[in-house]
Formats: sequence, C-alpha cells, structure tokens
Amino acid sequence: MSRGHHAEKATGKGDPQCFRGEAPAPKFKVGDRVRIRDLPDIFYTRCQVYTRGAEGVVAVVTHESPAPEDEAWDNVDEPEWFYIVRFKQKELWPEYPDVYENDTLQTEFSERWLESA
Amino acid sequence: MADKHKPAPMVDEVSDFEVLEVAVRELAIEKGLFSAEDHRRFAEFAHSIGPLPAARLVAKSWLDPEFKKLALEDGFTASKEVGIDWLNPTGFGTPSDYCDLRVLENTPSVHHVVVCTLCSCYPRPILGHSPEWYRTPNYRRRLVRWPRQVLSEFGLQIPSDVEVRVEDSNQKCRFMVMPMRPEGTEDWSEDQLAEIVTRDCMLGVALPHPDRKADDKRPVHKAANPVHGH
Repeated sequence: MSRGHHAEKATGKGDPQCFRGEAPAPKFKVGDRVRIRDLPDIFYTRCQVYTRGAEGVVAVVTHESPAPEDEAWDNVDEPEWFYIVRFKQKELWPEYPDVYENDTLQTEFSERWLESA
Repeated sequence: MADKHKPAPMVDEVSDFEVLEVAVRELAIEKGLFSAEDHRRFAEFAHSIGPLPAARLVAKSWLDPEFKKLALEDGFTASKEVGIDWLNPTGFGTPSDYCDLRVLENTPSVHHVVVCTLCSCYPRPILGHSPEWYRTPNYRRRLVRWPRQVLSEFGLQIPSDVEVRVEDSNQKCRFMVMPMRPEGTEDWSEDQLAEIVTRDCMLGVALPHPDRKADDKRPVHKAANPVHGH
C-alpha cells in the first residue's frame, strides 16, 4: 500500500513547511490588536474556550497550514496563516492579582479565529 | 478452589486511549500502512531520544551570539547543528511531531514557561518524551491561570517585577525555553554549560544553577524495613 497523500506532500519538507505559499496574504501583522472570535466548534477545535472574546496583540506570524478544524477531516485545500497572540493575564482571568499585572499568556490561532479589535 | 489458580490481572485498568491505540495500530498493520517491525523501530527510536541536544543548543547559544540568533529565528535549522534533523527518521517529521520549533528567550524582564492545555504538544525530537506531570490535567489546567502558584510548587519564585509569560502550545509550533546563563559560569566550556541546562530549565519550571547537573548523584535513602540477609 502506498503512503497517504499527507506523507507524500510533507516528505523532505516537513509539516507545516509543506503548506508554504498556499495561503492568501496574511490579514494581520505583528503588533495588531485582535479579538478572538467565538465560532461554533461542534466537532473539533484547537481554539481554547478561555480565549474566546478576549483581546490581545499579535506577537508572531508563524506559518501557513490548514486550520485544525478542517485538517481533522482531511480538508487541506485552504491553508491559512497562523498567529501567536499575546494576552495580558488580567484580560483572560479577571481575578488575576494586580501585583502581577505584567504577566502574559501566548497561544496560537488560525486566521479565522481573529478579528481586528 | 479452581478460582485460586487464576492468574491475577496484569493491570488494574486499561484506559480508552490505550484500547484505541492498540486498535488503530493493529488495523494499520493489517492494512499494510506499516509493519509491526516498523512500529517497534519507531517506538525504540522515540524512547531513545532525550533532552541533551536541546541543552547543547542552549549552551552553544550562550557562547556564540551568531548561533543564538539562528536558534531564535529558525529553531529547525539550529537543531541540525546539535545533531537533530526534525524530518528524520520518517522524512516528514519525527513520529507524530511537527517541524516548527520556536525557542523562547528568557531575559531579565521576561520568564517563559511552556504548557499544552489541549494535551501534550512537546518538542520531542530535541527534548525527548515529556515528563509525566506535563501531561496531567492538573498542570495543564492550572498553569495558564495560576502560573506563579504552580511555579512555586516546583520551587521557583519569580520576582513580581519580572513578567511571567505562559506559552500555551496548541498548534503546530513546538516550544522550548532558552534560560539565562547563570552567574558563576564564566569561562565555562560548552560541555560544562550543557550539563547544567536540565529538561525542566527548558520547560521554564526551573532555572539553571552552576551546582546542579542533570546527572548529579541522587540521594540514597536506606530501606525502612530492610530484608535481613540482603
């Protein structure tokens, strides 16, 4: 039996490198303020509930890849850009102590989860 | 009477995930996707990797500003200089890992710590298998919300004027922390420096110390009720 199409595409390049150049231009850049959208996620997602509706700043534009919500079903035809977003902890957890107001949390989203804030 | 001769069960409980792993593995072998020998080889490979290449990457970065720049910009390429090719042995990634390594640099004003709230994303090709606690719901749930309390349980107190930055690793990027070089290591060689960069330092739950090495002798505790004659 031959290897799956995923292995064939990624061999010699790696994943997510094998999706390079396949996404439309990134909508956001480092420093942009964004809000995390609260999209439906009936079957599969990697967008944590604790970030939904929160505002943060784009820290890194990482790579192109199909969104996990698509890739879980082997829909790999529409890769999008991914972003590491930095949040103030206070924005995520209202009870976070004021004395540690500089503390932050970073996590990553595919473009569909972000809107300008 | 016959019951007494039944063998005891070998384990008390088998989790759903263990059953799922066996089922998927056996199906894949039956369908010819890979052989039992391939599976054994990958398992043996996966269990043979450890955190030493990552420690080497940090030590090299402490000594060589050019290499440090590369490590921070392109972890995948920098890994090759410490003997780790993220594509090997499969050609498209080490078993079940992606190939985008991000190195997080600690500074006097920022301390990084890594978690995966979804399950256990971890830079295995360069750090080996994750510690058991890294995969527990306890660590995953609490670190994002109460990072300083969790770090203090590891014995690490971060001053309030230092930003604690939690990195929740939830997509294809893999993260390791580049701690700051501790005082008292001036004139040390790369080999000496690599010895004090332990796994926990590269997850952000500990800081390197000139007197602590990964292979230090462990304390020996005598048995409370020793078996006589042995």
